[in-house]
Amino acid sequence: MGGLWRPPWRPVAFCGWRWSHRGSAARAAERVVPCLRPGRSGTGGAERALRRLGTWRRPSPASELALQPPPPPPPPRRPKSTNPFTRAQEEDWRRRNKTVLTYVAAAAVGMLGASYAAVPLYRLYCQTTGLGGSAVAGHASDQIENMVPVKDRIIKVTFNADVHASLQWNFRPQQTEIYVVPGETALAFYKAKNPTDKPVIGISTYNVVPFEAGQYFNKIQCFCFEEQRLNPQEEVDMPVFFYIDPEFAEDPRMVNVDLITLSYTFFEAKEGQQLPVPGYH
Amino acid sequence: MSTAMNFGSKTFQPRPPDKGSFPLDHFGECKSFKEKFMKCLRDNKFENALCRKESKAYLECRMERQLMAQEPLEKLGFGDLTDGKPKAETNS
Repeated sequence: MGGLWRPPWRPVAFCGWRWSHRGSAARAAERVVPCLRPGRSGTGGAERALRRLGTWRRPSPASELALQPPPPPPPPRRPKSTNPFTRAQEEDWRRRNKTVLTYVAAAAVGMLGASYAAVPLYRLYCQTTGLGGSAVAGHASDQIENMVPVKDRIIKVTFNADVHASLQWNFRPQQTEIYVVPGETALAFYKAKNPTDKPVIGISTYNVVPFEAGQYFNKIQCFCFEEQRLNPQEEVDMPVFFYIDPEFAEDPRMVNVDLITLSYTFFEAKEGQQLPVPGYH
Repeated sequence: MSTAMNFGSKTFQPRPPDKGSFPLDHFGECKSFKEKFMKCLRDNKFENALCRKESKAYLECRMERQLMAQEPLEKLGFGDLTDGKPKAETNS
């Protein structure tokens, strides 16, 4: 008797079982027969039907070898029905399934590609529309040459200076405020003193409030994002050369903005430390 | 610099300056020009438009002493002053 053998008829038995659970066992065998896969060679249909019912007894190995030729490779997948019309329909369904599967796979790949492409596309979109205070493309030095000051819109720019707790510099602005108009370049000064007896390197960053006005605040030259070294007991003037973009006067969101605050903060920079500089280059 | 953990709102994006960073004036070579500019500002109630000649002079001092890259003044927005006709009117 063979050991554990997996009955190969299990998936096909449902075909017959659904209809035959009411009838007798013999009737069931008759009904099961059409559900058999044609082309499976063996010892005969009736024998296979009996096998399904569990009454089949395995022949001895010698007779098995004599009777059964080696099993052929499983045939390629064929339509389950023998009726030519339903077979054609099944072929059609199969073809349509394949088409749908191709489309779904293409859509999945397309989504993956779109998610990769979204990063530079969004950056481009932000640069052209200037949303979120990101850098607006198209600021060249020839724009400064040709810009016309908007004389009727006076903006007060106040200055703020901060220092990180670990940096012992005295850092302060030299003017509390300055009145500028958009389109006009302006100069402002900060002063920094190193009261310690050791040279100290600082690096600064800035902030503009209100933050939507920050995209119109352009610095031509300043002292931020680069290491600035102060010798012991040294005091220097740090200029900021900036202008406010003339398009500021045309932005409807900026109608009520009359005060812009420029705030610089100095941090201590360690020797040989590489800090990331903001910007897309 | 905000330390609030508001991830939803937009954050400020600092931008590097167009022409980079000013070298530090360690020897105070242009300090006199700066003092003139600051005095002009204090006299004119901190109106920038009235003190543009002094700021131009300060930048020229920096350029002469290699503390700033040489640039034609028109590119720095002083085109009206280099023509010799200072435009100093403002509407307040």
